[in-house]
Amino acid sequence: MKTTCKLMLLIAALAAFAVWSVRPPLGLADPKNGEPHEEEKGAHAHVPAPLSYADAHMPVEAWTDAALIARGKEIYAAKCAVCHGDSGDGKGPAGAALPLKPPDLRDRHAIDEMRDNYWFWRVSEGGAEEPFKSKGSAMPPWKGDLSMQDRWAVIAYQHTFSGHKGPHVPWEHPEMVQVGRDIFAMACIQCHGAAGKGDGSVGATLSPRRAPQPRDLTAEQFKFRSTPSGQLPTTADLVRTVTEGVRGAGGPLTLGLRGYRIMPSFRHMPIEQRLELIEYVKSLNRAFWSRTRIETVAVPAPPPVTPERVARGKQLYADAECLACHGERGRGDGASAPTLKDSRELPIVATDLTQPNRFKNGSSPEDVYRTLMTGLAGTPMPSYGDSLEPDQAWDLVYYVLSIGGGRPAAAARP
Amino acid sequence: MRVRAALAVVILGGWLVAAPAVADEAPISGAVKAVDAAASTVTLESTAKGKTRTVVVHLKPGAKVVKFTRATEPGKTGFVEQPLSLADLKPGWIVSVETKHEGGKEVADLVKVVLER
Repeated sequence: MKTTCKLMLLIAALAAFAVWSVRPPLGLADPKNGEPHEEEKGAHAHVPAPLSYADAHMPVEAWTDAALIARGKEIYAAKCAVCHGDSGDGKGPAGAALPLKPPDLRDRHAIDEMRDNYWFWRVSEGGAEEPFKSKGSAMPPWKGDLSMQDRWAVIAYQHTFSGHKGPHVPWEHPEMVQVGRDIFAMACIQCHGAAGKGDGSVGATLSPRRAPQPRDLTAEQFKFRSTPSGQLPTTADLVRTVTEGVRGAGGPLTLGLRGYRIMPSFRHMPIEQRLELIEYVKSLNRAFWSRTRIETVAVPAPPPVTPERVARGKQLYADAECLACHGERGRGDGASAPTLKDSRELPIVATDLTQPNRFKNGSSPEDVYRTLMTGLAGTPMPSYGDSLEPDQAWDLVYYVLSIGGGRPAAAARP
Repeated sequence: MRVRAALAVVILGGWLVAAPAVADEAPISGAVKAVDAAASTVTLESTAKGKTRTVVVHLKPGAKVVKFTRATEPGKTGFVEQPLSLADLKPGWIVSVETKHEGGKEVADLVKVVLER
């Protein structure tokens, strides 16, 4: 009897081996390591939109614009419903056959977490970009077929499937910036305060009773921008600030911040986390959702440094009255320096140009060019974007950097 | 009694192993790279789990190629299947197929057009 039992078990083992051996070797359908099938997970992934789409915030009123939604419905029925389904359930006849199923747009929880710039990126680029490409997304890119307005229209219509009636913005759906808010609470709140108003308990002690103070992130004045004077920064500008930190003379409590930084560098933080953080920072200022177009000040390729350029720059330094604040030798000891105040009426020091490693907005020729052409909002440093031609600006850049010990020749790219 | 127990083990083991094998009818989606109507094959470039592969799908005799269009009959609003021939498929179109692994080949009896472009 024992022999019969062993024989049966052997037959069972052989049968099992035989069945496994005819499995397709492609590994398309077999869940590995206990992971669910891709189609079960859907195409939704919480990743920040890349910088090229990070500023694509949908105008707030567009979400509830009946005419735009009606236009979006037409486009959706013609181009999207075959996969996403007429009701947005992701079960259109073509979508149902895909290995990676379209998301259920009626899933209010998932939609609430989806930022507008992410949505616009997904509709524009489809599955051609990572991480969706590797997942096998069949979503086509629509940027070539649909205008920006039409893509917004489709998104506004898709949003109606979620059942939410108001605008799809972070102050309606805090879930969409939850990750960034958590990072802010750990890394930024000490200086910028719980509400981002720059009133954190530590911030004021960095340079007591004088500028610079931590930025009020809810205000419209941001110092470090590539945008013209008076405008909000781009997301890339904010990434640069968070990545590089803010250099300066600082106060006694900044000694531990490497390189005389009044704000530390967060270069060590993964870029995805920096982007999440910045999405939260932007959510503190609704003006990011009201700008219709974004201009940036182009930084042309730096010309070669010549003695003539530096000489012309020295003349401009006097003509543009830079010496009134920065002083004749650039030490920040000009005649007006003692009276300078920032927008909070706090005394502010004119930058010592002999110490380029402490330039708040960076000390590369491109950084100094950008500072000259955009100014530093909230400080007495004006923008020269309207008064200097690019070539003149380069002359001045090279003179300013020459004050600090001839760095421009090493930094400039001929 | 032991024979019955052994038989139960065989049946249960066979079922446990065969169940996932049935699931190996894997859906593939991808862009059409080439169509050979004479050989009844369609070559797809497909990406899944981070890997992009070229897959030659052999269509069974009588296999269907369909795309989905809006119903034109009054009162109907959904989609209907519109049959195509294999030769109608164009490189660049996105299609999905449910394939089986038979005789060392990927075979299918239905190709669904997801996007014409």
